Amino acid sequence: MSTRTGAAPAELFDVSVVVDCPAGTDPAALRATVASVTAQTLVGTEAVLVGDGAAQAGGADLAADQPHRVRVADAPRGTYVLPLTPGERLERDACRNLYAAARRTGADLVAGRWTRKAATGTKEHAPAWQAGLYRRSRVLTDVAEAPELVTRDALEAGYCVRRTLLDAVRGAGDAGAAPARTDTPHRGAAPPAPPPRAAYGPSRRGCPDGFASALAAARIALVPNLITTGRAATDPLRGLPEAVGAQRRALAALDDPELRGRRAHAFLVDHVLPCARAFLGTTRRERTERAAAYAQLLDGLVRDDALHDLAPLERIAVRLLADGDADGVLAAAYALEHPGTVVTPLVRDGGRVHWSPLRDGADYDVTELGHQHRALGSLHLLNRVTRCAREGGKLVVEGEVAVPFALLDGTDTGPRLVTAGLALTPRGTGSGERGDGGRATFPVDDLRLKPDAVAWRADLPLTRDLRPRGIGDRVWDARLLLGIDGERLPALRLFAEKETVPGREAALPARPRLTRLTADTWQPYVTAGHHLALALLPRRRPARLTDRATRYVLTFRPARAVKRTWRRLRKTYERLNSQRVKLRVYRKLLLRLPVSRGTVVFESHMGKGYSDSPRAVHEELMARRRGVRAVWSYATSPAGFPKDAKLVRRWSWRYLWALARAEWWVDNQGFPHALDKPKHTTYLQTWHGSAYKRMGNDEIRHKTQNAPQRAKLARAIDRFDHFLVRSEHDVNTLARAYRIPEDRLLRIGYPRNDRLVAARARDEREGRFPRPALAADLGIPDHRTVVLYAPTFRGSPTSGTGTSTRAGSQLPLDVQAFAEEFGDTHILLVRAHYTQTATLPLTPPGTVIDVSAHHDVSELLCLTDVLITDYSSIMFDYALLDRPLIHFTPDLDTYVRERGSYFDLRERAGGPVVDTQHELHRTLAGIKQADGDWQKARREFAATFGTYDDGGAARAVVDALFTRKAGGRP
Amino acid sequence: MTATSAPTAATRTRDLFLIGNTTDELGGVTAWTHQMARLFTAAGHRVHVIGVYEHELKMPLPADPGYRITALYPSHPPSPRTLRGTARLNPAARRREARRIDGRRQASALLSSLFREAGPGAVAIVTQVWPMEWIRAADTAGVRLIGMSHESYAYTRACHRYRSVKRDYPHVDRWVALTQEDADDWIADGLNNVGAMPNALAHLPAVPSPRTENVVCSIGRLADQKGVDMLLDTWAEVAPDRPDWRLHLYGAGPDEAELKARCARLGLDRSVEWRGRTDDVQGALAGSSVFVQSSRGEGFPLALMEAMANAVPCAAFDCAPGVREIVRDGEDGLLAPVGDVDALADRLLRLTGNRRMRDTMGERARENVQRFSQEKVLGMWEDLFALLER
Repeated sequence: MSTRTGAAPAELFDVSVVVDCPAGTDPAALRATVASVTAQTLVGTEAVLVGDGAAQAGGADLAADQPHRVRVADAPRGTYVLPLTPGERLERDACRNLYAAARRTGADLVAGRWTRKAATGTKEHAPAWQAGLYRRSRVLTDVAEAPELVTRDALEAGYCVRRTLLDAVRGAGDAGAAPARTDTPHRGAAPPAPPPRAAYGPSRRGCPDGFASALAAARIALVPNLITTGRAATDPLRGLPEAVGAQRRALAALDDPELRGRRAHAFLVDHVLPCARAFLGTTRRERTERAAAYAQLLDGLVRDDALHDLAPLERIAVRLLADGDADGVLAAAYALEHPGTVVTPLVRDGGRVHWSPLRDGADYDVTELGHQHRALGSLHLLNRVTRCAREGGKLVVEGEVAVPFALLDGTDTGPRLVTAGLALTPRGTGSGERGDGGRATFPVDDLRLKPDAVAWRADLPLTRDLRPRGIGDRVWDARLLLGIDGERLPALRLFAEKETVPGREAALPARPRLTRLTADTWQPYVTAGHHLALALLPRRRPARLTDRATRYVLTFRPARAVKRTWRRLRKTYERLNSQRVKLRVYRKLLLRLPVSRGTVVFESHMGKGYSDSPRAVHEELMARRRGVRAVWSYATSPAGFPKDAKLVRRWSWRYLWALARAEWWVDNQGFPHALDKPKHTTYLQTWHGSAYKRMGNDEIRHKTQNAPQRAKLARAIDRFDHFLVRSEHDVNTLARAYRIPEDRLLRIGYPRNDRLVAARARDEREGRFPRPALAADLGIPDHRTVVLYAPTFRGSPTSGTGTSTRAGSQLPLDVQAFAEEFGDTHILLVRAHYTQTATLPLTPPGTVIDVSAHHDVSELLCLTDVLITDYSSIMFDYALLDRPLIHFTPDLDTYVRERGSYFDLRERAGGPVVDTQHELHRTLAGIKQADGDWQKARREFAATFGTYDDGGAARAVVDALFTRKAGGRP
Repeated sequence: MTATSAPTAATRTRDLFLIGNTTDELGGVTAWTHQMARLFTAAGHRVHVIGVYEHELKMPLPADPGYRITALYPSHPPSPRTLRGTARLNPAARRREARRIDGRRQASALLSSLFREAGPGAVAIVTQVWPMEWIRAADTAGVRLIGMSHESYAYTRACHRYRSVKRDYPHVDRWVALTQEDADDWIADGLNNVGAMPNALAHLPAVPSPRTENVVCSIGRLADQKGVDMLLDTWAEVAPDRPDWRLHLYGAGPDEAELKARCARLGLDRSVEWRGRTDDVQGALAGSSVFVQSSRGEGFPLALMEAMANAVPCAAFDCAPGVREIVRDGEDGLLAPVGDVDALADRLLRLTGNRRMRDTMGERARENVQRFSQEKVLGMWEDLFALLER
C-alpha cells in the first residue's frame, strides 16, 4: 500500500491485461475475454486491446462500456503486464493471486497454471508437466531451478511480468539481439533504458515475450493457482510449423546445454510425437504432402540424444516423420494406438530386431518390444484394407497382412499352409472373439503369399448369407481369422482408412430376420478406432417409419416413467444391499442367532484363494473326519476352492450369516474389522508371516493415527482367541506390536509350513528329483535350475523415470536382462505380492513364468532351487527347506529408514545380500560353490525364526482346538 | 514494497469485525482473537469482537477491553434438527424448529445492522467455520470477508469442517491459511482465493532462559492429539542414557490417568515429573533447557514459539507445515518425522548431550522467532487489507 505514497512512482493500474487480437477475431470470444478481465477481484486491473482485429471485433464498444478499464490500441499502464488471447478467460482471482505473489516475493515474473480445451468436447485439461512445476509456491533466481518454464510451453499463458522488464526485453528483441540476463533486481534499481511507450503489438520477431522475460528476470515466482482457462485446443498436425518456429527461436536464445537438451526432448514429446500420432486420421494425399514438408521443416531439430530417450515405438514414429516416410508414420501411429501390434515385416539381425528390411539402422531397433518372443497364437499383425467395393451384389474386401521375420519364406521349412476366413460379429452381444453367438464366418479363398505379407480378398454375399436379427445387432465388426500351418493367430481387426471405404456406393440390401421393417441396408464404414465395420441401417421408407415409431415408443412419457421407476427400484435394491445396511443387520440381528455347532469359516488373504495355513488346517480337519462343516470365503471367484466346502462370497449375506453362526473362525489376515465376533465363536488367527518390517503399534503410520482409528484396530485384534507363532521372534515382534496377551499365543508353528518340513525330509532321503507335479504343469524341464523371485509389497509403486512415456518395469529386477544371461540354464518364476500385480516384459518362451496367480506359495517353494527375495516374509518360510537364497535389496537402507525393521538383515541373513543386479547375477552364477559357506548361517536363521515349525503344526492345531478335550464338540 | 518493513501504525482507520464461535471461551482461537483485537485497537482501528454466543467457561477479560464485544445469542443456540417421518406431525417439534429459524433470522439481522453501521473499508475476519451460517444470511455489502483457518490443511481435511469450508469459503474475499504450504494445499484442492498469515508471538520475554537446569519440558493438554504417549515412549529410550536429566510435563487433560499408568509401566517414574496445568509458562521455560513437542497434529503452535522466544531449543515432530515454518530444522531446533519415536529420541539425545549446541540453537531460535512478532504480523494484516482494496 505504500507504493502509492512511497518514493516509487505510482502506476495507474496494478495489472494490465494485454489482449492481442489478430485480424478476424471473433467478437463473442473477445467479449468473453474482456468480461473475465473486468470481473477480476483485483480492481486495479485494466484490459488493453491491441492488434489489427481489435477494432473489427467490437473493441471500441467494449471500451465505451467501461472507459476507465478497457482501452483500445494504447500502451499498458499497469505495474505488471499479463498477455491474453481472445477466447481465453482469467479466473476470478487470477490477477489478485499473481499480484499478491509478486508483492510478497518481489518477483519480476509470476507464473501459474493454465488449461486448454480438448480437441473434442467441452472439457479442459492442463498438460501433465504442470503438476510438478506448480505443485508448491516457490521463488526462483534462475530458470534452471524449474527448467519446464523454458523447455515446455509453460509461458504461453498464465503469467504476468513486470512492465519495465517487458519493455526492456521487447526493446532488445526489436534490436535483433537476444535479451541479456540482468543480474540486479529491477526492484529499486533503474531498469535498463525502456523504449518509448508505444501501443503493444503482437509479439514480434525474436522469442515470445514470456520465454524471453523468464530468461531476463532476476526473480521468478511460481504459484499453484489456476490463472487462465479456455485456451484453444492445439492441432498437432497443422500446428507443427508454428511449433517448429518457436522451437528454433527458443534454441537460439538458450545457452545452457542442459536446458537445450531438455527443450529438444520436450519438443519431440509435445509436438512431433502428437503430430505423428495424428497421421492416423489423414488422407493419403494430405499425408504425403505433410510428410514431405515436415521432413524439411524438422531438419536439425531431431537430436539423437533426445530421440534415444523415447520409448522404441515413439522413437521410430519421430524418426520416420523426420525422414518424410508418410506410410511408415501411419503404421507407427497405428502401433502406438494399439500396443502389441506388429505393423511391419520385422527383420532379425543377429540378436537384434529391426523395424523393416529397409529401416534397419540403430534408430529402428525394436528388440525391446519383445515381438520376437511371441508365439503365433499371440501375434497381433497389422491387417490393412486396400480395397472395399460392391461388385455384383457382393461386398468385396481386399487387404494385406504384414508378416514379420519372413515367417512365410518357406525356403528351409517347405511351403507354409495358410488358411483364412473373415468373421463378422455383432457388437455388444458379448460374443466377442470367442463363442459363435451370432458370428458369421466367410471363407477367404483368394490368398497370395509373399515372404513378408499375405494379400487376401474376400467376397461377402451379405444380402444372401448374413441374416441379422435386426434389433440389438446393428453394428458388426469384421475380423480376419488367419491360420499358419494349422496354428491360429488372434483375430485381426481390419485397419481401414476413410478414403478406401466408399459411402453409399458400397451399400448392400439387408434381409433381417425380423423383416425389413427393422432395417434394410448394409453400410460398410470406418469406426472411430480406424477399423472396418458394417452398420445395419433403415434407409428405405418402411424401415425409416418403423425406426421413428420405435424411437417414439421408447421415449414417450409412459416409457420415461417406467424407466424412472426401474431406476428407483434398482437404487432401493442397492441401498438394501449396501455395506452399511449389512453391518446394521449383522450387529442387531445376525449376532443373536444361535451357534451352528461344528461350523468353521475359513478365509485366506481376504478371500483371495484357497491357500496358506487355513488351507492346511482345513485339510487336516477334513482328513480326520470330525464331522465339521467347512465354509470358505472367496473374494471374486469360487474357482480353485474345495468341493466339499460351502462357498460364500466375501461380504455377501450368506457370508455374514455363516460368520454369525459359526463355532470357529479361521483366518490368516483378519475378517472385516467392522464385524464383531459372536459370543459363541472361537477365532483362530494363523497369521501370514513373521515380521521383518515393523508392524502394528510399532508402525510409524499407526502411531500418527488418531485415537478412534487406533481403538478400531485394537478392537479388531481383540477378537483373536488364538494366535499362531513360529518362534520367540514372533512373540517379541508381532505379538507385542499387536498387543496380543501371552495366553492367546499358540507356540505351534504355521500349518502351511508342514509341507516344507516334509519336503526337506524328502530331499534328504531321496533327493530333489523327481520334482513335484506342479513342475510339469508349469512346463519346467528337469535340467533347469528353478529360481523363484518373490519381492515384498511396496506401498507405493516404484516411480517411472524421465518425462517421456517410456513404461518402466514395475519390478526392481530387470527380468529381460536376467533371461538374457540365465535363459539357457535357469527358469525364473516371478511372484508379485498378493496385493500387487506386475506386468512382465516379454522374454523368450520358457525362461520366465509369472506365477502371481498361483495362490499357494508353499507349493512353489517346494520346487524352487534358489530363492531371490528382498524383505518378504517368504524368507522365513523358505529357510525351513535349507536351500540357497539371495537377498536382492536395491533399496534396503531407504526401506529400513521408512518402514523400520526388527533386525539387521545384513547381519543375520541366511544368504548373500546384494544391492545391484550385476552383483546378483555374479552371486547366482557362483551359488553352488558358495553354498557351503552359507549353510551354517542359514540353519541358524531357520532355527531362530522357525523354532516351532516341526512339521506337525496342522495336527497340533486340530488337537489343541478342535477336539472334545479342547472344548470343541465334534 | 512494504513486505519487509512493517508499518507501526495503520495507514488508515478501519472498522474490523472479528467473528468466532464464542466471545470468551477458554481456548486458542479466542485467545488469538483478543490478542489481535488489542493489537488492531492499538494500531487505531475500531474493533468489534462478535461471537455466536457467550460461553460458560470464560476466559478472564478486563472490564473495559477498549473494543466492543457482542454475542448474537446469550447462550448456545439450538442445533438444527431436520424433522423426518412422524416427527413432522409433532406440533411441539415444529414450534421449536420455527423458533430456531426465527432466532437465526434475528441474529443475522443483528449482524446486518452492525455491518451497515461500518464505514468504508470495513473488514470482517471470520476466525471459525460455524459463524458463517449467520454471515451467509446477513447483508455483507460494503464489508470484505476474510475467512481464517487455525489448523493445518490435513487436519481440516480429516474432519467435518472440511465440507463447510468447501461450501462457504470459495466466495469470500480471502481464505487465509496459517502457512504458505497449507495455502498451496487448499489451492490444489480447488480454492483459488487463498493466502497465508502466521500467528503472532504474544511477547518476547526480557530475560531468556539461562538453560542451566537439566530439564526437558513439554507443555500441552494431556489429550491424544498432543501425543504424550509417544513422548513417554521416546523418553523411555532417552532416560537410560541421560540419568541426570528430567522430563517435566505441564498440562492436564482427559488422558492423565492412562498416561501416568503408562509412565509407571515404562519405569520412568523417577525421571518424569507431572507438573499439572500452569499459567506461568515463562517460569516453566525458564527452568528448562530443552523443549519437546510430540503432537500428532498442530496448526501454528504457540508453545513452540514461546519456547523459542525464551531461547529454549526445541525438538519436535514435524507434524504440520506450521511446525516446519517456525522451526528451521538443524538451525534453530531439531525436527523428527511424525510418529518416528526413535528419531525424536535421537534429537533429544543430541540436544541433551551437547551444551554448545543447546546454546547456539537457543539463541538463534530467540532471534529467528521474532519474524513472527506482533509488529511484523500486524504489518502483514495491513498489507492484506490493502490488497483486498486494490
